[in-house]
Amino acid sequence: MSYSNVIVRRQTTSSVIALAVSVLIVTAIPTMPYWASNGHIRWVIELSCLIAIAQMWNLLAGYAGLVSVGQQAFIGVGGYVLFVFANNMGFNPFWTVPLSAFAAAAVSIPAYILLRRLEGPYFAIGTWVFAEALRLLTANISYVNGGSGMSLRVMAQYTPGQRALGLTMMSSLLLLLTVGGSYVLLRSRFGLALTANRDEPVAAASQGVNVKRIRLMIWMLAAAGTGMAGALYYMAQLRITPDAGFDPYWSSICIFSVMVGGVGRLEGPIIGALLYFFATRFFGQFGATYLVALGLLTLVMALFSPGGIWSLLSRLVNWPWFPVTRVVVNQSQRAGEDQECRSGADRKRGFGDANGVNGTKHVDAASIKPGRETYQL
Amino acid sequence: MKWLDALVQGVLLGGLYAQYALGMALMFGVMRIVNIAHGDLVILLALLGITLVGVLGVSPLVAPFLLVPMGVIIGWALQRGVLNRVVKADPLPSLVATFGLSIALQNLMLQIWSADTRSLSLGALSSMSIELGPLYVGVLPLGVFAFAVALTACLHLALRYTKFGRALRAAAADGEAATLSGVDAKGVYALATAIAVGILGAAAFCQATRTTVAPADGGAQLIYAFEAVIIGGMGHISGAFLGAMIVGIAQVVGSRADPGWGILSGHIVFLLVLALRPQGLMSRT
Repeated sequence: MSYSNVIVRRQTTSSVIALAVSVLIVTAIPTMPYWASNGHIRWVIELSCLIAIAQMWNLLAGYAGLVSVGQQAFIGVGGYVLFVFANNMGFNPFWTVPLSAFAAAAVSIPAYILLRRLEGPYFAIGTWVFAEALRLLTANISYVNGGSGMSLRVMAQYTPGQRALGLTMMSSLLLLLTVGGSYVLLRSRFGLALTANRDEPVAAASQGVNVKRIRLMIWMLAAAGTGMAGALYYMAQLRITPDAGFDPYWSSICIFSVMVGGVGRLEGPIIGALLYFFATRFFGQFGATYLVALGLLTLVMALFSPGGIWSLLSRLVNWPWFPVTRVVVNQSQRAGEDQECRSGADRKRGFGDANGVNGTKHVDAASIKPGRETYQL
Repeated sequence: MKWLDALVQGVLLGGLYAQYALGMALMFGVMRIVNIAHGDLVILLALLGITLVGVLGVSPLVAPFLLVPMGVIIGWALQRGVLNRVVKADPLPSLVATFGLSIALQNLMLQIWSADTRSLSLGALSSMSIELGPLYVGVLPLGVFAFAVALTACLHLALRYTKFGRALRAAAADGEAATLSGVDAKGVYALATAIAVGILGAAAFCQATRTTVAPADGGAQLIYAFEAVIIGGMGHISGAFLGAMIVGIAQVVGSRADPGWGILSGHIVFLLVLALRPQGLMSRT
């Protein structure tokens, strides 16, 4: 095969449709105050936060190999930065939401420096200790009213309509930055390095991928996204306490959404977060029993379907919403089979593999030199 | 005198934490996994013990003889049914599986026993104390501490000198090579978890008699055990014991300085050790 008649296809029909729908949703959310009820606006705000934190956890666990059970640290930091800057210092609360993202990223750096030496499972529990330390520290600081928490009184100066508009615009921005940002990130050169790192860190390092720097960058980005979600969530709640903001249950939500939806795929956390949100709406009344079922479902998925619902779905139909793969199409046999360029470990880890048929060829992402946009098969 | 007392009380509290930490060090040393439901299992066993003593109408002192065998069985079943499927280089499956188990267990216990705190009273023994020089020390905490010392010594010697200990260390060093040499790695793993959870049976008795238990307490116990293991040096049995002492001392001394700073000082000491000596105090490297 000569290389000149090969083109790289990066979109599919399903992904073009998904992209159009996504753009529509993101532009529609800020118009909600004009046509939707207050209850539905609250739903959308909460759902945006859930999708954002799940997507950020997916970047960590699915691509950087960092499992965290301490994401509540960044939720709490994001929330508290909003309350302190808006309430105690008089900043505009809406503009403080994106600022919270930077604050959370800044806090994540010392955490990473302290915890990076711990091996996989110990790193995870270390993040929890870090979050607990922040919770107890916050409860001891009288400037933020200690354990009794704070109320966002400055919001009283805005009309309900202004508040709804600000909150929905921030929800849109949050989705754009976390989901859209992840999509753009994973389709870039950096994304190739990230996927290579996920599949085989040693091989990735030998191909010139700076694994340590990638991990730190993803850790900071995930903290930023999670922090912004925390700020938005508690702006809608108007109240924050250390026990709520730094509640380990936030990590449970991340883990459930990503593991049940599908780890290592952009679609997975969205499906998982939607599932969690609606399951909680319908079955939340059963309280502890519902949470027992949620825990057991997470356990069963981890044991028997590590790729989650998305992997099961893509076994039936291969219609990706946000494809980050590069599909190499050979023009001389265009009518025939596409040749899919997909990382080898996808099959190993049980991710959606609908194309194990004739004419497909799997190429390890790690064997591709970063910096080239077309690949030799 | 206030601070000497705090030091002694901290060491005695460390005796309780050491019992949680030993099992965790053992499991991590052998399989490189952490069971997030570790603390919830302590609570489960403690609540089962309290209920059994009430239902059977026996002396509370019988409880450990029921709880340790129950712990062994639970641990063995946990390893065979769940953990053996997720022992891999990738930390994600084992963490997520035990995390799910932890959530399920916590809420199941909440459903059965409600959120109340409970404890096991040993009658006069609960409040008895002896005079040690200028200090008064409770007999019960002293007993818990002595038991932790004995347990650490036994585990250390068993790993060093018995056939099982050798098989376990071989499986820890290289599971596949151990299998080639005739060691049943999965069987060794099951035994290690059975021992770890069996120890938790004894720890549950100590916890229920020394303080109180409630269904939501598991996470905190897991964190204390984890801090002890990391401070001591990963996968190091006597290190875990030393680490537990340090966590106990930090918590008691911290809470004497300011009631809000007890548990926080434990976390701060842990983070300081990570910053200054990340390989742990007892590690030779």
